[in-house]
Amino acid sequence: MSLFCEKLCSVLLLEHFGPIVQSVGDDLFKHGAKSLGFIRATTGLPLPKVKEALCVLLQYGFAIHRQTEKGIQYHFLPDKVITILRYPRYMFFAKKFCGDEAEMMLEEVLKRGYETASQIIIKTFHRLEQHRSEHQSSLSMLKDKFELLVKNQFLTRSICTETMDEGPAEKIECNVPDLNMQAMAQIMQGNTDDPGDNKIYWRVNLDRFEQDLRDQIMVSAITKRVDENAGELMRQLLFLMYLRTASWADTSNPIPYSEIKEAVRKINYPLLVQYLDQYLRLLEEDSSQFLKRVGDSGGGQFSINTKEAFSQLAWTTVENIVMERFGSKAARIFRLVRSRKYVEQEQIQQLAMIPAKEAKHLTYTLLQENYLQMQELKKAGASAAPTKTFFLFYIDLNQVVRMEIEHCYHALYNTIQRREQESASNKRMIDKQLRIQTLTSNLKEHGATEEQLAEIVEMMTPSEKLQLEKVQNTIKKLGGSELQIDETLFLLTMYLHYH
Amino acid sequence: MEIDPGPSEEHNVNASTEDSPEIIEQKIIALAHTKTKGISDKDILSEMPDVQPVQRALVINKLLSQGLLDLYKQDKILLYRLKDPNKVKTAKGADNEEKIVYTIIEEAGNKGIWIRDIRFKSNLMPTQLNKILKSLETKKFIKAVKSVAASKKKVYMLYNLEPDRSVTGGAWYQDQDFEAEFVDVLNQQCYRFLEQKRKETKDCRGGPIAARNITFATSREVWKFISDLGISKVKLSVDDLEMILNTLIYDGKVEKTLSNDGTYLYRAVEPLLEPPGLIKAPCGVCPVRKNCSDFGDVSPINCQYITEWLA
Ligand code: SF4
Repeated sequence: MSLFCEKLCSVLLLEHFGPIVQSVGDDLFKHGAKSLGFIRATTGLPLPKVKEALCVLLQYGFAIHRQTEKGIQYHFLPDKVITILRYPRYMFFAKKFCGDEAEMMLEEVLKRGYETASQIIIKTFHRLEQHRSEHQSSLSMLKDKFELLVKNQFLTRSICTETMDEGPAEKIECNVPDLNMQAMAQIMQGNTDDPGDNKIYWRVNLDRFEQDLRDQIMVSAITKRVDENAGELMRQLLFLMYLRTASWADTSNPIPYSEIKEAVRKINYPLLVQYLDQYLRLLEEDSSQFLKRVGDSGGGQFSINTKEAFSQLAWTTVENIVMERFGSKAARIFRLVRSRKYVEQEQIQQLAMIPAKEAKHLTYTLLQENYLQMQELKKAGASAAPTKTFFLFYIDLNQVVRMEIEHCYHALYNTIQRREQESASNKRMIDKQLRIQTLTSNLKEHGATEEQLAEIVEMMTPSEKLQLEKVQNTIKKLGGSELQIDETLFLLTMYLHYH
Repeated sequence: MEIDPGPSEEHNVNASTEDSPEIIEQKIIALAHTKTKGISDKDILSEMPDVQPVQRALVINKLLSQGLLDLYKQDKILLYRLKDPNKVKTAKGADNEEKIVYTIIEEAGNKGIWIRDIRFKSNLMPTQLNKILKSLETKKFIKAVKSVAASKKKVYMLYNLEPDRSVTGGAWYQDQDFEAEFVDVLNQQCYRFLEQKRKETKDCRGGPIAARNITFATSREVWKFISDLGISKVKLSVDDLEMILNTLIYDGKVEKTLSNDGTYLYRAVEPLLEPPGLIKAPCGVCPVRKNCSDFGDVSPINCQYITEWLA
C-alpha cells in the first residue's frame, strides 16, 4: 500500500480517536496481519492500552480479526478508515431519505461504531430535547424512524460481539427487536430497566452508503449530459436493478420495458412518461454507454452497465485533471491518444493541430508525469537499411487512476495537516470561545440577567472576534475542500473496484 | 501517415471518368509519331476531343520538360515535334545513375521522397547522389520542397508536380509555419456554431430525440457557416473543416456520429462531470507537490498556495 494512504489513515485515526489508536493503527498498517503480543512489542504500549485501541478499531470496522494457527491475527482495513471522510455525506443521505431525527441517530451510531437500538433512541431523544425544545418528538416516533433506517438498510445488525469470538458470519437477522417502550421511558428517567434488546447491536451499513454515492454519481452524470428527466429515468433504472441483481455486479440483469414504464408512471415526471421510449433510446445511443439494450422482447430489455459507466467517468475525471494541470492543449493530446489507442508523435501534432514544438513538449511532459506511456516498436527495413524504430504513445488508464488516487491521498493529508495547524495555532482563542459558550448556557439555566450575559460576551474583544471568525472560516473552507477531494477519490476507487 | 484522404480521392474520381494523364501522354506521343513534322494544339483537339485544355497543357508541359517534345513555331502556329530518342538521351545528358534516381523520385509522386530513402533505394554513395540531385535540379527535372513534417527535412519530387498537402501542410501553413492562431480561431468559431445549435433545443417541444436531432450539423453546414463569416483569407475545403472539428472532438466538446446515409454528424455535448473536486483544491494542481513534505521549505503548514487560496 501506498505511503500517503498510510499517512492519511494515521492522521484520521489521530484526529478522531487519539494517539494510542493511531499508533496501533500505524503498526498494523506497516506489518499487515499481527497478533496482540507482537503489536505490544513493536508499539511499546502497555497491554491494556493496546487492547483498548484494538477494541476501537474492531468496533468501528477498521480492523478485523482472524483465527489462524498462530493465534488470533488482526488485519487493518485502510479503505474503511478513509470512509471517515464520508460520514458527513452519509448523514446527509439519511437526512434526505428519513428526516432530521434519522440523521441524528445515524450520527450516534457513527460516533460509537455500534450500539443497541434502545440506546440509540434514548440518546437521540436527549439530544433533541436539548437542541429543539419547541419540536416535540416522542419515543415511539423515534422508534419508527429507527425502523425506517433499518428498512432502508442504512443500519444493519452488527456481528461484532463483546467476546469477539463469533464464528463464520452467518446470515444475520435484520428485524428490529420488540422494544419495551415502558422500560425505555424508565431508563430515560434515570432508572435501570431492561428495554429488551440487550446485546443486539447495530452498525452503519457502509456498503449501502457506498452504493448510494455510486448511484448518485451516475444519476447526476446523466442529468448533466441529457436533462432532469433522463436523470430520473436513470435513478428508476437503478432501483429496478436492485430488485434483480447483486449490488456490485458489473452489469444488471435485463430490465423489461414494462417494468420501467410501471415505475416511471408512479413518479411525477409527466415528460418522462410521455417520452419514455425516446429517453431510453437517448441513453442507449449516448456515448457514455450507461445503458444497453440487450433484447427486444416485450418492448425491449435493458441492462445497466455500471462497469462501463465508471470507466467513462474515470476517463472524464482524469481528462479534467490533465486539463487543469497542463492546459487545454495537453488535454487535447491526452484525449487524442485515448481515442487512437496507439499513436506516433508526428500523428499527434497533425491531428491535434498543435505546432510541432509545442505538441512535442506537451507530449513529453505528459509522458514524464506518467499520464502517457511510450512503447518502442522496431521494424526491420530493407536489408541494407538499419532497423526503423517507432515510438508509440498510449495510456494505461488503470495506472493513471492509481496515480491519481495517490494524488488524492496526498492532497487530503496535506489539507488535513493544514487544518489541524490552523486550529492548533488558534487554540487559545477557540478554547476561550468554548468556555464563554459553556458559561453563558450555564448562567442562562440559573437565570442570569441580560446584563450579566452581555458582560460575558464582552470578554471577547472585537479584534478577537474578528480573528476567531476568520479562523472558523478557514477551517470550514479546508474541511469543505477535504469533502471535495474525497469525491474524486471515491469515484476513482469505484473505477478500480470494477476494473 | 494519416493526412486527409480528400484530395487523393478526388484524383481517383477523375481517373475513373476520364483518361488519366499517363494515357493522354501516351496518346499524344503516338500522335506525334505519326506526324514527324509536328502536331499543333488543333491536331490534338481533333484527335482527343474529351481532353480538357488544362489537362492537355499539363501533359504537354510535362513532355516538354522531360525533353521528349520540342516546341517550335511555324506560320504563327505552335507545333510540337517528337525529339529523336537518341538525341533525347544526350540532350538530357543523363547517364544510368541519373535515370535511376529520376525514376525513384518519379515513383514517389507528389509526396516526394527524402534523400536518405533515395540513397537506400539507389545504393549510391552520398557524394555521388548529391551531385546527381544537383544536376537534375539545375536541369529543372526535379525540385526540392521543404516538408512541414520536420523543419529540416527536404523531399524531392518531379519539377512540375504540385506538392501534396502532407508536404505543404495545406491551408494551415504559411511558408512552412504552422498557423496556430488561425486554427484556434476556427476551433472556437466551429464550437460557437455547434453550441448555438445546442442552445436552440431549449425551446424544442417535440420530445428529447427531436431536440437532440436539432443539435446535429454536418461538416458542410459548419463549413458554410465559417465561409460566410469570412474570417479565412485562404479558401478552406470541407475536409479542412473536418480537421478542425476533429480537434473539437479531442477537446471533449463535440461528438461525431455516423448518420444513416453515411455522413458524419457533429454536435456539441456536455461533459459527464463537473470538474473533479481534487483540482479545486490547491494540492490538486500544485506544481511542487512532489517536493512537498511535512518538514522542509515546502510543507502544508507554511504553504503559500493554500494561504493564497484561503485569502
Ligand atoms: S501543501 Fe502546498 S506545496 Fe504542498 S502540495 Fe499542497 S499546495 Fe503544494
